[in-house]
Amino acid sequence: MLLDIVVIVLRETLEASILIGVLLSIGRQEHIEIYWVFVALIVGGISAIVYALNLGVISELFDYFGQEIINALMQYLIYCVLVMIIAAQYMDAKFSNNLKGLMVVAVSLALTREGGELFVFFSGFFQSDESILSVMTGGFIGLAVGLSAGAIAYYSLAIYAGNRARTVHTVVLVFVAAGMVNQATQLLIQADWVTAGQPLWDSNRILPESSVFGQLVYAVFGYEATPSKVEFVTYICSFMLSVGVVLICRSRFDNNLSVSKS
Amino acid sequence: MRVLIKVASLLVVLGVSLCHAAPPVFALNIRDHLFYPSEITVPANLKIKLLIFNEDSTPEEFESYELNREKVILGGRKTVIFIGPLKPGVYPFFGEFNLSTAQGRIIVE
Repeated sequence: MLLDIVVIVLRETLEASILIGVLLSIGRQEHIEIYWVFVALIVGGISAIVYALNLGVISELFDYFGQEIINALMQYLIYCVLVMIIAAQYMDAKFSNNLKGLMVVAVSLALTREGGELFVFFSGFFQSDESILSVMTGGFIGLAVGLSAGAIAYYSLAIYAGNRARTVHTVVLVFVAAGMVNQATQLLIQADWVTAGQPLWDSNRILPESSVFGQLVYAVFGYEATPSKVEFVTYICSFMLSVGVVLICRSRFDNNLSVSKS
Repeated sequence: MRVLIKVASLLVVLGVSLCHAAPPVFALNIRDHLFYPSEITVPANLKIKLLIFNEDSTPEEFESYELNREKVILGGRKTVIFIGPLKPGVYPFFGEFNLSTAQGRIIVE
């Protein structure tokens, strides 16, 4: 039972935690003050509670597909915000105020869904006979492991400097952003707003989706062992769109790169 | 009585859906943190509509890696999930909020 709670909390915090780690590293590269994280946590926390309290209403919208539609919308929004953050790295220094706002939005959206599910889960627990101490202990352990994953993400990226750092951050975020689109598309398939068709391949033998590493790669990069054609196409398109934006921004702001980013 | 109403409504839904050649509908109940039935057999290569009733007072999250489905169902509520088209095989699912007890399989033939 304790282990169940640890696993649940860990899985819900993993994605947001790694996203925060990556964005913190970008913030450090762009010399942005760190307080944006605390704003994001507060906004995300409040948003998660509002989401959880209204989940009953949300779930019955769109013929019982409200959860899928609202969650997919949030994921697509996170994608757009992440592409803007990637682009902002290649633009003038005056964009860094916008960068703080963008990071707050991205993290708040990620926390809304995952925090909301955790809130629903815990409120269910407090109605039952389970000992509150074991619930809180399990939750704390899961959270601690999730946060360490975020810390590892941050420190793995923070070792880079200068242009190399920007390239590494761009590569990581392009994959994370495409992963968000993948998750959103899966939700629309679940709601039958998008038709799936048969999977293109099955890579479960190479990397099972249910394995620990498979779950990690799913949470961060949207890894899918049995992708359908529409998921594959939207993944590639979102990937190429992000890369396209980077190339455009790089060529437009070429003159300012070495001057303002030293 | 509640069971009777559920069976009757399921038959009505099945009847209506068959008339319109809509996806086949299967019902799943969550009771005492267990799935009833714990095994469902469905036809292959067809879109399937799963009606999930959470009879417990606490929320549950229906989840499956193999099916790529994940949805929270609040206590005392019902919801709909589409799965498939699926190739023949066994696709496990579980209740994420009660991992050790709530487990089931979709068998595709």
